[in-house]
Amino acid sequence: MNVDRNWVPMKWPCGPLEIARREKSGSSNADVKETLEAWLRPSALNLLEGTPINCLVVDWAGGGPEDSAQQQALKPLLEAGGKLGISFVGKLAPKQGTGTELAAARAAGLSAVMLDGAPAQSSGLPALRQFPRDKAAWETATTIFSATDNVWPGLNLQTMKGDTALAGPTGIPWVNSNAWFSLLARELAPGKTLWLDFDPPAASNLLHPADYALAVADSRAYGSRWIVSLDDKLRAALPKGDSQARDVWKRLCEAIAFFNNHREWQTFKPQGILAIISNFRGDNAYLGGEVLNLLNRRQVQFRIIERAKSQPPLDGLKAILWLDNEKPGAEQQAALLAFVQHGGLVIAAAYWGTPEATPIKKDPSLGYRMYNLGQGQIAVADDGFQDPYQVAVDTHLLLSRRNDLVRLYNPESTNCHLSGESVSPHNGKRLVQVLNYSSEPAAYVTLWVNDRIESARFWQFGVAEAHTLTGRPASPGTEFDLPPLSVYGALEFEDTNL
Amino acid sequence: MITTTCSRRKFMGAMGAAAGAYLARPVMPLARAVPASRVAVSTCREYGPEVTGALARMFDQLGGLEGLVRGKTVAVKLNLTGDATTRLGYLPAEITHWVHPQVIGATVQLLGQAGARRIRLLESPMSTAEPLEEFMLQANWEPRDFSSAAPQVEFENTNYLGYGRKYSRFWVPDGGLMFKGYDLNHSYEDCDVFVSLAKLKEHVTAGVTLSMKNCFGITPCTIYGDDSPADEPSLTPRGGRGPFHEGNRLPSKSAPPPLNNALASKDPGYRVPRVVADLVSTRPVHLAVIDGIHSMAGGEGPWCDNVRHIQPGLLIAGTNCVATDAVSMALMGFDPMADRGTAPFETCDSTLRLAEQLGVGTRDLNQIEVLGTPIARARFNFRQS
Repeated sequence: MNVDRNWVPMKWPCGPLEIARREKSGSSNADVKETLEAWLRPSALNLLEGTPINCLVVDWAGGGPEDSAQQQALKPLLEAGGKLGISFVGKLAPKQGTGTELAAARAAGLSAVMLDGAPAQSSGLPALRQFPRDKAAWETATTIFSATDNVWPGLNLQTMKGDTALAGPTGIPWVNSNAWFSLLARELAPGKTLWLDFDPPAASNLLHPADYALAVADSRAYGSRWIVSLDDKLRAALPKGDSQARDVWKRLCEAIAFFNNHREWQTFKPQGILAIISNFRGDNAYLGGEVLNLLNRRQVQFRIIERAKSQPPLDGLKAILWLDNEKPGAEQQAALLAFVQHGGLVIAAAYWGTPEATPIKKDPSLGYRMYNLGQGQIAVADDGFQDPYQVAVDTHLLLSRRNDLVRLYNPESTNCHLSGESVSPHNGKRLVQVLNYSSEPAAYVTLWVNDRIESARFWQFGVAEAHTLTGRPASPGTEFDLPPLSVYGALEFEDTNL
Repeated sequence: MITTTCSRRKFMGAMGAAAGAYLARPVMPLARAVPASRVAVSTCREYGPEVTGALARMFDQLGGLEGLVRGKTVAVKLNLTGDATTRLGYLPAEITHWVHPQVIGATVQLLGQAGARRIRLLESPMSTAEPLEEFMLQANWEPRDFSSAAPQVEFENTNYLGYGRKYSRFWVPDGGLMFKGYDLNHSYEDCDVFVSLAKLKEHVTAGVTLSMKNCFGITPCTIYGDDSPADEPSLTPRGGRGPFHEGNRLPSKSAPPPLNNALASKDPGYRVPRVVADLVSTRPVHLAVIDGIHSMAGGEGPWCDNVRHIQPGLLIAGTNCVATDAVSMALMGFDPMADRGTAPFETCDSTLRLAEQLGVGTRDLNQIEVLGTPIARARFNFRQS
C-alpha cells in the first residue's frame, strides 16, 4: 500500500474520541454531539459526491479508553468510504504508533496513519509524519508529511481595532499566511508533499464564514495542501442541507477543483533573482522563517537554498542573503566569492570575504558596510542581523526595487507569487498567482511585471475558461489591470523569452 | 543643532531681479502690504516633449532662471504624497496626485541649462527612511531620467535626518502662527534656491494643494510623526503628521514647542493652514511650479472620498508662492480671496490669507501680473468638471 500524492485531505472529526475530547475541553453540547454522531454515519459521505476530496483524516488512537470504541464506530464509515474510493488516514496521538494500533488500522482498511514519530513497529502501513512547524524534522519527512501550528490565512484578527485592520510598520495591513513555510518545505523536503494542518477561527459561522477558498489558495499556490477543516457550525448545517452552508462548501470545493485542474502549476518553480541561504534550523529557524515571511509580504520574489548544499545553484541570481551567523564552508565560500567577483551581491551578518577588501559606507540610511570585490559587493550589516523586519527591508533596498520582478499597485491585502517552468524568469511558461487576504474584494489592483508581455491568460475560481488580459506597456515592464478579485486570480504567461 | 532663522536675505540674494521687490520688504508686522508678483500660465494638453518647451517659455516670461540659479545649489521639493503603490483606480500616481516625472525632468533640465551647480530632489516619502530613488522605483519611475537631465542631480529623503548630522532649526519670523520654529532635514538649509514643484489639486483639510501646501511635507515625521518619540527624534519616520493635523500629541521635545493657540485648537482646518503659512514664511519658496496637466478633483489623493481624474491641461509657475497659488486657485475656478466657509475652504482657513498676512506674498489678482495664457482662457473649474 502506498500513499497517493494526489490525495486531497479533509479532517473528518466524529465518533467517541472526538466526543470525549470535546467533553474534556468543555466545548461539547448537545448540538456538537449530534453533529459528531451524524458525521460518523456512512450517509455523511454523500457530501463528498462530485467533489475532489478523496482522503479523510480520522482519529484512530488517542491513547485513552475510547480508542477501541472509536475504532469500532468507524468501521461502517470506512467500509462505505472504501466502496466510494475514499482513502482514510488514521491519526494517532503521540506515542500511539504501537503494533496493536497499527495492526488494527491495517485490518480496518486505513490507507495510512499519521503520527508524530516513526512507527514503533513496521506494519506495512504507510506513515505520514506530523510535527509542529517550529520543530520541523525535515530529514524524517515522509512522502506526505504534515505540519501543525500554522496560521489561518487572512488579515490578522489580533491586530484588528473595531472594524479596522491596524497597520504594521510598513503601513500595510498585517496578513497571516503560511506561504513562506510551504516554500521552505519545497526546498528542505524536496519531492515530498506538505499537508498543512490548521483549523478555522472559532468565530467562523454561516453568516460570516471563514474564507475556506483562501485557505486552499494560500496552501496550493505555494505548493502544499491544506487538510480541509470545517468549523462546527458549518459541519452541523451541511448534513441538514442548509443553503448557506452548501454555498460555502461549494466555493471551497471549486477552489480545490481549480488547483486539481492545474496540476502542472504544482511543478512550477519559484522564480527570483534573490536567494536566501540558511539551514533554517535551531537558532536560525526563527530569523529564517520570519525573513521569508516578510520578504514574501513585500512581494520580493526569492529562491530558498539550504545551507548544506556545498555547491549552491547560483545561476540567474543577482543577490544572495546569507542569513546564518555561521560562515560558509570552504567550497561554498569559493562559490559565493566567485559569484561576487562576477557582479553579484551577497548580504551577510559578518564579513568572510578576502581580507584585502576595505569596507565603504554607501548609504547612511542603511546600516551596512560595502566590500567591493571584483565586479560585485558584499554588504555586511553593521550590527549583524537582529530584527527580521529590518533584514527584509534592507535586503529589498540593497537589491534595489530596480530588480523587482513583479509588483502590485493598490495591493491593499493582496499578495502575489511568481513561478515558472524554469527557475529563470526568462525561460518558459510563467505564472503569477494573486491572493486576496481580505474578506472584501480587491478592486483596481494592477499587476506589474518586469517584462514586455502582450497578454496573459487570467484564471479565477469557478470560471472554467481563462480570459485574455491585455498588457499595458509601462516603462519598464508591462501592467495588467486585474478585474475585482474576491480570493484568487492567476495570470499565465507564455514563454516571454527575453 | 544648527540654529538659524534661515534669513530671508540669504535666500533672496539668490533670486535676482524677479524677486527684487520681495527682497526689499521690511521686517513684517501682520497684515501688511505684500509685494506684487508675476505668474506665468501655459496650457499644455499632455505630458511629453512639449512640457519642456512650455516650462522654458514660462521661465523666460518670469525673467529667466539664470539669475536665480546660476552657480547655486537648488533644492526642489517634489509633491509625492502618500505611498508609492496607491492609485486612483488603475491610473498611475503621476496622472492623478503626484507631480509628473516629465515635469520634474523638464524642470531639472532647465535648471541645469540655466547654470544650477547642484540640483537636489527632495521629498519625505510616507513612513519610510528608504532612499528617495527607491521610492520612485516603486512607483515604476526611473530616477536616472532625472540624474541624466542635468550635470549634478542628487536625491534625498527628508522625512528623517537623512544625510545630515543634525536637524536644521528654522525660526519663524515674527514668532509664527503655530510654532515658533521647526526642525527640518538639513537639505532645506543647505541650498541657495528653494523650488516647490507641486500638483494642482484640492485638499480635504487645507482646501487646495498647491506650491505652499506642498511644503507641509518638508517636516520630518521622525519629529512630527504620530509615533515619534516624546523626547528625541526617532531614527526612522513613523506614521503621519497627526501632531500637526489634530494636535493629538506634541512633537518630540527636541523641537520648538507649539504656541498656546496651537495647544488650544484641535481643528485640522485651523492648524494645517497655519503650519503651512509658518513653513513658507521661514523656508521661503523662490520658484513655484505647479503641474496641472492631469490631476484629480475632490481631494489630494486616492484615499479621499469622491475623487476623480481630471485633465486641466495647465502649467503654472511663479517666483512668489502666494501669488502662484492665487492664480492657480483662480484657474481652478475658485476665488483666491475666499476664506473659511467659502469654496474651497469650506472647513478650513485660507493658507493664502495667512501667508499674505505674514507678508509672504499677495493673493490679490489685481496685484499679480499674469503672463502667458490669460486666466479666463485657461480656467478649468474643479467643482464643475
